[in-house]
Amino acid sequence: MIRQFVWNIFLVLAGLLLFAPVVIFGLYGFSTRYFYPQLIPSYWSATTFLRQLTDARTRQALILSLEIGTVVSCLSLLVGYPAARTLGMRPFRGKSVVYMLLFVPTVVPPVATGIGLNILFLRTGLAGTVLGVALVHLVPVLPYVVFTLSSVFARYDPHYEYQALVLGASRVQVFWTVTLPLIFPGIVVATLFAFLISWSQYLLTFLIGGGQVITLPILLFSTVSGGNPQATAVLSLIFVAPVVVILIATSRYLATDRVHGQSGITL
Amino acid sequence: MAHARRYIWWQRLVVPLTLAPALGLIAVLFGTSVLYGVAQSLGYLPFLGQTALTLSAYRNILGGANVAHDFWISFGFSLWVCCAATLLAGAGALLVVMLYGDRLRGATRGLMILNINLSFPHLVWAIGLSLLLAQSGLLARVATALHLIGMPADFPVLVRDRYGIGIILDYITKETPFLVLILLSILRSQPDAFGVVAQNLGATRWQRLRYVTLPLVLPGLSAGALLVFAYVFGAYEVPAVLGVQFPRMLSVLALEFFSNPDLHSRAEGMAISVIMALVVLVVALLGRVVSNWGAS
Amino acid sequence: MTRVVLDRLHKSFPTQPTPVLAGLSLDVHSGELVALLGPSGSGKSTVLKIITGIEQPDSGDVRLGEQSLLHVPPHQRGAVLMFQKAYLFPFLNVADNIGFGLKLRGASKQQMRSEVGRMLELVELPGIERKFPGQLSGGQQQRVALARALVVEPRVLLLDEPLSSLDTAIRHTLQETIRRVQRELDITTLLVTHDLQEAIAMSDRTALLLDGMIEAIDRPEALFQRPPTQAAARFMGISTFVTGQVEGAQLLAPWGALQVAGDGERPHAATFAIRPEHLRLLDASAPNAVPGALQDVVYNGEFTLYRVAIGADDVRIKAYQAVPHQPVGTPVYVQFPPEHLFEVLV
Repeated sequence: MIRQFVWNIFLVLAGLLLFAPVVIFGLYGFSTRYFYPQLIPSYWSATTFLRQLTDARTRQALILSLEIGTVVSCLSLLVGYPAARTLGMRPFRGKSVVYMLLFVPTVVPPVATGIGLNILFLRTGLAGTVLGVALVHLVPVLPYVVFTLSSVFARYDPHYEYQALVLGASRVQVFWTVTLPLIFPGIVVATLFAFLISWSQYLLTFLIGGGQVITLPILLFSTVSGGNPQATAVLSLIFVAPVVVILIATSRYLATDRVHGQSGITL
Repeated sequence: MAHARRYIWWQRLVVPLTLAPALGLIAVLFGTSVLYGVAQSLGYLPFLGQTALTLSAYRNILGGANVAHDFWISFGFSLWVCCAATLLAGAGALLVVMLYGDRLRGATRGLMILNINLSFPHLVWAIGLSLLLAQSGLLARVATALHLIGMPADFPVLVRDRYGIGIILDYITKETPFLVLILLSILRSQPDAFGVVAQNLGATRWQRLRYVTLPLVLPGLSAGALLVFAYVFGAYEVPAVLGVQFPRMLSVLALEFFSNPDLHSRAEGMAISVIMALVVLVVALLGRVVSNWGAS
Repeated sequence: MTRVVLDRLHKSFPTQPTPVLAGLSLDVHSGELVALLGPSGSGKSTVLKIITGIEQPDSGDVRLGEQSLLHVPPHQRGAVLMFQKAYLFPFLNVADNIGFGLKLRGASKQQMRSEVGRMLELVELPGIERKFPGQLSGGQQQRVALARALVVEPRVLLLDEPLSSLDTAIRHTLQETIRRVQRELDITTLLVTHDLQEAIAMSDRTALLLDGMIEAIDRPEALFQRPPTQAAARFMGISTFVTGQVEGAQLLAPWGALQVAGDGERPHAATFAIRPEHLRLLDASAPNAVPGALQDVVYNGEFTLYRVAIGADDVRIKAYQAVPHQPVGTPVYVQFPPEHLFEVLV
C-alpha cells in the first residue's frame, strides 16, 4: 500500500520534472506585469508571444537553425553511413582505434574545440559563414551518427541483401529496396540525434559564427542576458517547440531505451 | 585469375575507403583544432612572427600571480560542481532503478517521457530552472502564497550563487534521467533468469537488489557517471546562464581569457582549455576502462 | 537447360589454417539435381556462394553452359540461392516478396499477379498473397521462398540446407515438394546438405565433399551401397572395416579368414567394408562368421543396434528384424555375407 503511494508520488515528481519548464515558460511568456508575488498572472496577454514570433530576427534565427540542422544531418548521414556499415559488419584490425578516434571529439570540451578551430576558420574564410558553422557542428554530431548506425549494422543480417542480389537486384537496387527499409528506424534515430545536437549548439556556433551567424540558441542566450523574462520565456518556447514536435512524431522509433543508453548521448 | 586478383585488391580497399570520409573529416576538423589549440597555448603564432615555443602561458595560470589565483579557484569550483552533480545524479539514478527497476522496464510511455526530457536542450532547461528558482521566481512565489516567506530576499539564493547550487541542480535534474536510461538498458540486456535463480535460492527482494541487481548495474553506472563528470566539467552554456561572476567555472574562464585582445591572455585561455581537455580525457578513458571491465 | 561446371576451385579464408576448397571440380548435368553432402563447416555453403558470385574463388572457374561466370556480377548470373532461413523481406507481403524479382525486371502488375498465383499453386499454398512473413509458419515461409526463387526462372537453383531448421514431418513433405517442382520445371539444381537421408532421397546424383574436394560422386544407391573410399563409407554410416591381406577369394584378417568376392587380382593388402544392416547376428557358428562378445544393445525403433567386440575391435550391427533378446556378454557370432563385403580405398 505504502509502496503504491510512494510510486504515485514518484510518478507525480517525474511528471513535474518534465512539464515544469513548459508551465514556467507559459506563465512568464503569456502574461504582462507578472511581478512578484503573483503566482497566477493577473494579466494574461499574448502580445509578447506574437511580437516575438513575428519579429524578423526571430524568424531569421529559426530559419538559420533549421537550415544548419538539415545540412548537418544530411552531411553526417552521407559521410557516416559507409563508416558505420564497415564498423558494424566487417572485422578488421584497429577497430578500437577507430572507435577511440571517433569518441574523443565528443568528450573534449567544446570550448577547446571551438577556440582551436577559431583561427583555422578565420584564415580559411569560413568564420562567420553558415558553412563554417555547419562544419564545426559536425565535430560533435558525426561520432554519434556513426555510433548509432554502426550498432544498427552490428545487428544486421546481410543474407537479406544476398537474397535480393541473386534475385536480380543490382547493388544500387539492393540499397534502395532492401537495406534502407531494414535500417530505416536506425536512420530516423541517427538523423534525430544529428539534428538535435546541431539545434542545441551554442558555444561552437558562437565561436565560429562570430556574431554573424545568429541561430536560435545565440538569440536566446543574448535575450537571457537582457534580463527580460517575458521575452526569454517566449523565445524558449519557440526554441523548444520544434524539438518536442519532432520527438513525438518519431516516438515509435525511440520506443526502446537502448537508443539513448547505448550511445551515451548527453545533449 | 586476373579477376580474382582485382577482386582481392578491391576488397582490401573497402575498409579504408568507407572509413576515410568520416575519419578524414574528424581528423581535419578535430585534429587541427587540437594542433592549433596546443600550438597557440605554447605561444606559437607564426602569422605574428612568434615561432618560439614557450610554456609561459602554462606557468602563468598554474603558478603566476593573479591569473593562477583565478585559475585554481575556478578549477576547484568546477571540481566541486562536477563531483556534487555526478554523485547526486548517480545516487538518484541508482535509487530509482533499484526501487522501481522492474516497473520501469515495461513502461514504454514513461520511456518516451524520459526521451523528451533528455532531448530538451541544456540551455532551455537552465533558463527554466533560473525562472523557477530565482528569488522572485516561481518557487519563491509559491512559498509566499504558502506564507513561508514574506519577500524575495527571504528566499534562499539558489541561482547565480557562490556555491553553484543552481548549476548543480540543473545537472542533477538533467543527468539523472540519462543515467536511469543507461541502467535500464543494462538491466534489459540481462536475462530475467538471474533474479529468478536468486529467488529460487531463497533471496528476499532486498537481497536480490543488493546481491544481484547492484553488482550488475554498478559498472555501467560508474562508466555513465564518469561520462557525466567529463561532460559537466567541460560545459559552458549552463554555467554561463546559472553561474555568477565569481567563482566562474573553467569553461567560462577560458572563454573570457581567450576573448581578451591581449595575446598573452589568449594563450592562457588556450592553455586552460588544453588542461581541461586533458582532465576530461583522463576521466572519460577511465570510464571506458570501467565499462569494459564490467562487460567482461 | 543449363549445365554447371565447377573447375578446380580453390578458396581459403584468413581465419582458417587449411583451405576450405582445395581444387574442387564438379559437373552438374542439365536438369539434374545433385546433392552436395558433407560435414558442417566443410565448405559446402562456400561453393554455392561462389557460384552466385557473393564470394570469389582464389582460383578456378565457374561455368554455366559454356560461359564463365567469374566476371559476371551476382545480380546478372541467373543463379538463385535459397538459404536455411527463408529471409522473406519482412516489410513486404507474400505477393510482393514473390514478385520481387519480377518487379526488378519490369513486369507489369497483371503479369506479376498471374505469375505469383501460378507459383503459389505450384508450392501448394494458394490464396496467401496478402499475408506477411511474420504470419507464416517455418514450412510455409520456405515454400514462399522457393516460389520467390523459381518465379524468376533461374538457370540454376541453389539450395543451402533449406530444410534443416524445420521439423521432421514438414521436412519430408517439403523434400517431396522441392523434388516435384524441380522435375516439373526441369531446373538444374545443386542442393547442399549435411543430412544423408535428405541427399539420398532427393538427388539424381550425390557428391560427397570432404577436405575441400569431392571425395565421391555417384547415383545415391551406388554411393550408399558401395562407397568407393573409407572416408566416404564412414559418411554413409559404415563403421565396420576389415583390413588384411587379400589372396584370391580370401581375406586374411588378424582374427581369422573371410570369404570375399575375389576378382583374381594378385595378393595385396586391402580394406573391406560392409554396411551394418548386412551383418548378421547369430548364436552359432556359420560360414564367414566370426566369434565375438555382445557389448551393448540399443533399441532404435525401426532397428536395433548391436555392438559386438571381435578381438580388439567393435562391430556395429543394425538388425531390422527382431533378434531374440540376449544379455550383454553373451558369446555370439557375427556373419559377414561375402556378397556384401566390398573393397574400399583408404
